[in-house]
Amino acid sequence: MLCEECKVNEASYTLSVMVGEELTTRHLCGDCMAKMNMNIASGNIKSLLSSILSAITGNDTPAEKQPEVVCPRCRTTLSQFTKTGHLGCPACYEAFHEQLQPMLLQIHGRVQHAGRKPLATEDAQRSRYRQEDLTRQMEQAIAVEDFETAARIRDQLKELAAKEAEA
Amino acid sequence: MSNPIVLSSRVRLARNYQDIPFDVAHKPDAAAMCIARTSNALRLSGQDSGFELLRLIDMDDVQRRALAECRLISKDLLRDPATAAVLLNEAEGLSIMMNEEDHLRIQAIRSGMALQEAAEACFRMDDALSRQVSFAYDEQLGYLTACPTNTGTGMRASLLIHLPMLTILKQMGNVGQIVAKVGLTIRGVYGEGSEALGNLYLVSNQVTLGRTEQELISAVTAVGHQLTDMELALREKSLQNGRNALEDSIYRAWGIMQYARCMGQNEFFKHWSGVRLGAAMGMLPVKLATLDAMLEQVQEANLQALMESTVTGRALDEKRAECIRAMLKD
Repeated sequence: MLCEECKVNEASYTLSVMVGEELTTRHLCGDCMAKMNMNIASGNIKSLLSSILSAITGNDTPAEKQPEVVCPRCRTTLSQFTKTGHLGCPACYEAFHEQLQPMLLQIHGRVQHAGRKPLATEDAQRSRYRQEDLTRQMEQAIAVEDFETAARIRDQLKELAAKEAEA
Repeated sequence: MSNPIVLSSRVRLARNYQDIPFDVAHKPDAAAMCIARTSNALRLSGQDSGFELLRLIDMDDVQRRALAECRLISKDLLRDPATAAVLLNEAEGLSIMMNEEDHLRIQAIRSGMALQEAAEACFRMDDALSRQVSFAYDEQLGYLTACPTNTGTGMRASLLIHLPMLTILKQMGNVGQIVAKVGLTIRGVYGEGSEALGNLYLVSNQVTLGRTEQELISAVTAVGHQLTDMELALREKSLQNGRNALEDSIYRAWGIMQYARCMGQNEFFKHWSGVRLGAAMGMLPVKLATLDAMLEQVQEANLQALMESTVTGRALDEKRAECIRAMLKD
């Protein structure tokens, strides 16, 4: 089996990483494994990022021959990102999703966030659930021709929507 | 509380605004928006008591570097003083750096082994701010940061740790392997390249995505305890096997620190390490807290701030020796 990094040498190492709840296995040759280890040990994150990224985008084709990916919001290009290791704006995560996903996996071993959330997001989430609940109740009320209850729920929904617009 | 091995615990969270580009170095409008929005959010949250807004452009170079030496701001914040600022609560060891690599770096420092406390202080501030503003956040990837190495929790938890015996007995290679196995990293704090002046190291989490903040804090804390046990065991052993040699080196360092009239920074680190080791082992009559404070106060910019001058060279080294003597007398 060929090394999944350089696609040149025979893979002799198996790297197992957790993706969410699933175990994913990557096969690497000795050179690529050593390169990864060395970069991590020397704290050389920039070159680590570049090496991962160029491996993902394909070593065999020169960068200029590939179509350039550009972030629609901040106009940062994929090659700028490869060079600096820094993204231009939050929207770059979506623009470079295809290249970033394996890179994040390489760096962190997982690609599903498991930590804290912003409070505002939680509140908005809660309000969305509440709206869905109320809509379902309203539909049920209409189905049994309880129009008084349906009207009351409709007012509640209006109030929630207004609050969300304010926020 | 002073700890024989762990000097301090630091936690920082990276946060960004959804609608502003990450790098605001050459975008004064975006940088100003970042500062104004954060300051307003802090004021509206009602958590602003004790905080002071410091724009780096309004400070002189010595003041800025002195703050960095005390680790209240990062060295990276000094890179572009025109746009950088910090909301600082010095008494609480809490800072919100603005326009560093990320828009916000919320940081808390506590002395000794206290990562949990430092993390909770950061979380309280994060919650208070996130009630007022929206941070760039993705359900799959968590908090979005300028560099993919911080994506997810955006959290770096680190311990400043003094490992003289492990260093002298050339065990740091092994330590590096142990630490790397659990997804953490260890590096020297002061000095260039591989040297670790003062035998001082930072242990921190390398991975930020896919683990909860609590898991990361537990991992760093566990390694901190493990390194503490290893270092203490070696100290104990060297007392049994070569008491005279160890005592000799500690008392020599103590003598020089008490009486020298001129001391360069590198020489200071060397003797400081010996004295702290002696103090932690109960040989020397000096408080660990004094030595930990000295570490910051006799660095270049802090001394220059004291002298109200930008002198370097011999005059600075003489001032350093004078400061050390004064602190050891108290």
